[in-house]
Amino acid sequence: MKNRLKVLRAERSWSQQDLAERLEVSRQSVNAIETGKYDPSLPLAFRIAETFGMSIEAIFLRDPAALPGENGQVEKEG
Amino acid sequence: MSGGSKHAGRKPNFWAGMGLAIFAFLIALNTTGAINRTTTLILLAIPIFMVVLYVRALGRQPRTNACAGMASIRYTRGIAISSAAYLVGLGTAMSVWRNYDPSTAVTWLLAMLPIAPIFWMIYVMGRYIVEETDEYLRHRAVLASLVGLGFVLAIGSFWGFLETFELVPHVPGWWAVPIWAVGMGLGQGWLALRDRAGGEE
Repeated sequence: MKNRLKVLRAERSWSQQDLAERLEVSRQSVNAIETGKYDPSLPLAFRIAETFGMSIEAIFLRDPAALPGENGQVEKEG
Repeated sequence: MSGGSKHAGRKPNFWAGMGLAIFAFLIALNTTGAINRTTTLILLAIPIFMVVLYVRALGRQPRTNACAGMASIRYTRGIAISSAAYLVGLGTAMSVWRNYDPSTAVTWLLAMLPIAPIFWMIYVMGRYIVEETDEYLRHRAVLASLVGLGFVLAIGSFWGFLETFELVPHVPGWWAVPIWAVGMGLGQGWLALRDRAGGEE
């Protein structure tokens, strides 16, 4: 799952540590989510969305290649 | 008292490093025959004392991040104390068992001296996974535990069959925990490296 955390953080001049403190998680968590190595749970995703004042869908983007199409086939977008 | 207050300012890693260095030095001296077993056991009190200082320093650390918290501090403290208890228990049990001729009942009790701290260590590790509120750190701990478990299963099966076919000597079952811990440590190291490669700021 892709996300816009790094861009949103940069817009607010927040470091990973700043965001981690706002979310009450470790800096490693922010780094892992930001780099796409770890997908957050739904409660944490909601907390991230609330912190940025946006909806979850505006921050986390589904990977088009991972979307199941009809008959279980991969649906290609664009 | 000024020396004490100076020591009070040391960071936990200082005491951990000192303890490990002295422990490694004593093992090296014992292995090379420079000191005998009894002297080694007595001198092991020094790294054990370092563990006490380490735990005290850990408790004094300022909380820079409220979340980075209590679960990992409790875990580190629990592992440090149980490791020290293991060293003391093992040293005491081995000394009494070798130098005296304890009855079977006493030998059972002696065997429990290193076993109880190991059970404590396992409990501390399990409690950390339950108590860690940071979901990514918990995820990392679970992954590292699985790497450790993989090591135990792979090495245990490998060595066990070699032993069955009388190709290698017998190895006591208590090696399971050290092998698991080494596997878990390597797993944590690999995950930390992966995090760093991901561009931590």
